[in-house]
Amino acid sequence: MSHEQDAQLVRMVNQIIANLTPGRDQDAAAAEVCAHLEKFWARPMKQSIIACLEKDDTGLSTLAKRSVRLLKTKDRL
Amino acid sequence: MIQHFDPSQHAKDLGTPAPDADATPVSVEIDGVEITVPEGTSVLRAAALADINIPKLCATDSLEAFGSCRLCAVQVEGKRGTPAACTTPVAEGMRVTTQNDRLARLRRNVMELYISDHPLDCLTCPANGDCELQDMAGTVGLREVRYGFEGENHLAAEQDHSNPYFSFDPSKCIVCSRCVRACEEVQGTFALTIDGRGFDSKVAAGQDEAFMDSECVSCGACVQACPTSTLMEKSVIDAGQPEHSVITTCAYCGVGCSFEAQMKGDQLVRMVPYKGGDANHGHSCVKGRFAFGYATHPDRITTPMIREAIDQPWREVGWEEAIAFAAERLQAIQAEHGRESIGGITSSRCTNEETYLVQKLIRAAFGNNNTDTCARVCHSPTGYGLKTTLGESAGTQTFDSVMQADAIIVIGANPTDAHPVFGSLMRRRLRQGASLIVADPRRIDLLKTPHLADAQHLPLRPGTNVALVNALAHVVVTEGLEDHDFIAARCDTQAYRAWRDFIAEERHSPEASEAITGVTAEAVRRAARTYATVGNGAIYYGLGVTEHSQGSTMVMGIANLALATGNIGREGVGVNPLRGQNNVQGSCDMGSFPHELPGYQHVADAEARARFEAAWGVALDDEPGLRIPNMFDAAIEGSFKALYVQGEDIAQSDPNTQHVEAALKSLQCLIVQDIFLNETAKYAHVLLPGSSFLEKDGTFTNAERRINRVRKVMAPLAGKADWEVTVDLARALGYPMEYGHPSEIMDEIARLTPSFAGVSYAKLEAHGSLQWPCNAEHPDGTPTLHENDFPIGRGRFAITEYVATEERANRRFPLLMTTGRILSQYNVGAQTRRTNNQVWHDEDLLEIHPSDAELRGIQDSDWLGISSRAGQTVLRARLSERMQPGVVYTTFHHPGSGANVITTDNSDWATNCPEYKVTAVQVEKVSQPSAWQRRFEEFDRVQRGHLPEVVQREATP
Repeated sequence: MSHEQDAQLVRMVNQIIANLTPGRDQDAAAAEVCAHLEKFWARPMKQSIIACLEKDDTGLSTLAKRSVRLLKTKDRL
Repeated sequence: MIQHFDPSQHAKDLGTPAPDADATPVSVEIDGVEITVPEGTSVLRAAALADINIPKLCATDSLEAFGSCRLCAVQVEGKRGTPAACTTPVAEGMRVTTQNDRLARLRRNVMELYISDHPLDCLTCPANGDCELQDMAGTVGLREVRYGFEGENHLAAEQDHSNPYFSFDPSKCIVCSRCVRACEEVQGTFALTIDGRGFDSKVAAGQDEAFMDSECVSCGACVQACPTSTLMEKSVIDAGQPEHSVITTCAYCGVGCSFEAQMKGDQLVRMVPYKGGDANHGHSCVKGRFAFGYATHPDRITTPMIREAIDQPWREVGWEEAIAFAAERLQAIQAEHGRESIGGITSSRCTNEETYLVQKLIRAAFGNNNTDTCARVCHSPTGYGLKTTLGESAGTQTFDSVMQADAIIVIGANPTDAHPVFGSLMRRRLRQGASLIVADPRRIDLLKTPHLADAQHLPLRPGTNVALVNALAHVVVTEGLEDHDFIAARCDTQAYRAWRDFIAEERHSPEASEAITGVTAEAVRRAARTYATVGNGAIYYGLGVTEHSQGSTMVMGIANLALATGNIGREGVGVNPLRGQNNVQGSCDMGSFPHELPGYQHVADAEARARFEAAWGVALDDEPGLRIPNMFDAAIEGSFKALYVQGEDIAQSDPNTQHVEAALKSLQCLIVQDIFLNETAKYAHVLLPGSSFLEKDGTFTNAERRINRVRKVMAPLAGKADWEVTVDLARALGYPMEYGHPSEIMDEIARLTPSFAGVSYAKLEAHGSLQWPCNAEHPDGTPTLHENDFPIGRGRFAITEYVATEERANRRFPLLMTTGRILSQYNVGAQTRRTNNQVWHDEDLLEIHPSDAELRGIQDSDWLGISSRAGQTVLRARLSERMQPGVVYTTFHHPGSGANVITTDNSDWATNCPEYKVTAVQVEKVSQPSAWQRRFEEFDRVQRGHLPEVVQREATP
């Protein structure tokens, strides 16, 4: 997955967080974002965003990382 | 086999409209026959219902009674004179005589006067065989015209052939005013009038102008209403009267009008709006009524073609070779690059059955969920937003429901242009006194509705929808305008409380939002009060809501507003997405999205998936597939290698054209199935001829969830309907599908999709149409959703935080561009550009406010270079005050315009629906086409040159 592709996915996650998490505490927010990714993202996109956890300077926010880590634990991919 | 449908049960003209069906019954005696009808019924209609056919000319049941022709005169016992049956309502105990010597003499005298000023050319008249004047002359027994034909007359009146589709011959006019009344009552345009008085009275368009120079929108209502050949389709003048007809469904917008395709053998003579159509009730627009010539245009692709690479000429081959070529390539790519390296796009222009088959092909034969549809780029946020809040991915009402609405909010929609027949119905309700609130950056034509009672325009800045809807909801909550009973009985309490706390915050007040939206607080407060307090509040919205980075949030904001005010679950209210293409609702219903099986059943739902696996005989992937923009990204990145596109033109319709072009060029195999060499097909390796809606059986589902039959009226030009091609491709891929007729596909859909469980072709024949859900619980369908509960139990308020789009105006790109549609063209224009609709709009223009134009020294018709972060194109300027300063507007109906070269790949956070409605641009005067346009012209020339010579020759005008 290219840097551009990673950047696009990170941008999408951050955008989801901005819209989906207001009014929720961090646990609920991470669960909600994870559920969204699980429900709507394709397998390769999930794999790529999980791979971003291991990379530096991807631009994933703290909450984004937490959400993606949660996605990783689902282990369905 | 061509299927015929007998329209006779609906075809009879009963003379005047039906009153309310639940009006008090009234019994009358007409010619000795006792008849009971609802109060308010005219004598003319009551008689017709008993098959007592009183002669008439100025009366027709699509128009209010007028009482001008005097032909329907009757006698009523105990009353003096001979009142007109059309304007005389029935009364209890009334005894009416419709035939006696006195009435016969009177009618003959009336007809004699008409005929004394009428050309006696019946045998060569285009209406011969379909003329009410001729019929009535026969009915009343006219045998002589004592006045002669030498007196003053109108026989030399000048004809008007300016409209491309119909002619106006005033010498044949009887001044019954049916055309004028149709333009007013049915269409709501008021383009026609009766000019002059007495003998000088004549029908005039506009200020006595040619039809083309007037405000006429060419809907055909006047032509339909004319009882003579005064207003007559040119196609009938050329071809003569049709000899049979078939009821089918229009293939243009999401209104889904029913039409009689009137035929001569396999030649389509005219499309006549079908009075029995539940979506349109006999009305039409210029597209459905007249713009059908594309179906037999010489540009039609009728032979399959293949090529190894897109720089090579096409090679015409037989169906078998083309399908084998496509299948071999798909299999080879999957063998080398993996199961997920290919995918497909279903068509929102094709039938439900065809769409179902394409997604089945992808899921079952490709073995992945890489299926998507053009709803991705239009109403995918509707699916997400309404499912989240109300539990169902669809609009809640029938179109007719608007006639019960007291306050109508229209957000980001332009119904008079994009959904014209529904726009006319809405205008009718507005003339009756309903309040109108339009939230739109542009001053749309709906605001110019004649006799509009009360209109409010909220001219918000592009991209600020959510801030506006939050401000509206804030007023509802803080001014105590909520429907607490509804909320308590129907909504999730916890979600409501959280939402209420959120929306009541001062930062959502109209005063705080004013700086964001540009709409005055006073206007927002007034609009919210109107919606919440006048009675039934109905919200209609379009792509101006969905095609934003917060499209899904805005849909939920709209649902919040409806829930908070209790405007859900009955006639006259609701949340109503105006869907774009003819079958975009159906394509979503049929499982086109990568995460949902038919009926919006998630692929991870083990129980649902098991049913499909059992029926289809294969294991299905439980992970969602790629959406269209994800496919493009993956193609460029190199992991996605092949795409099957049925009946969509992603190269023209999707945003950031240069990105799309790069993606399409990256593919090793692009299979396009279409009726034309569209822009996408120029990048294809396999071109499979598509079939038009006239060439196949099936169903379309319109914006009100109405499933309507599409009926074959002619054989497919290329020999196969689209569904047959998909079946062939599946078989070649080793996954045989066995269907003898589309009805069998619908039977399978019904078995697997709970909301379609009760749908069958037999039931559609019996009912005419059905609105889903149609199942054991709702055997006759469901006109209004959520009457008693929601599919998710209780309505769920959603937190709708306003997040400004990243696409912002700045010094480099100081203007915001928004895109839209116009009446005469449809979507990418592939159909309408191949009709005479071109006379209204033969190029896309950039509308710009005069103050922005003046700043840049721009005058009307100047060539303008429009630049954005994505690209540049060149269009001509149209100065218009419909736009607010700082905002420019264009359409995307012509491929060379490159409107989507400018739009960016910003998209909705939940669904990736592109943000077509907000692009920051700069505009300047230029003298030549953009670099992209020059490349486009050259690529287009080369690709047309790759077509076989015979195809090129036929396509030459």
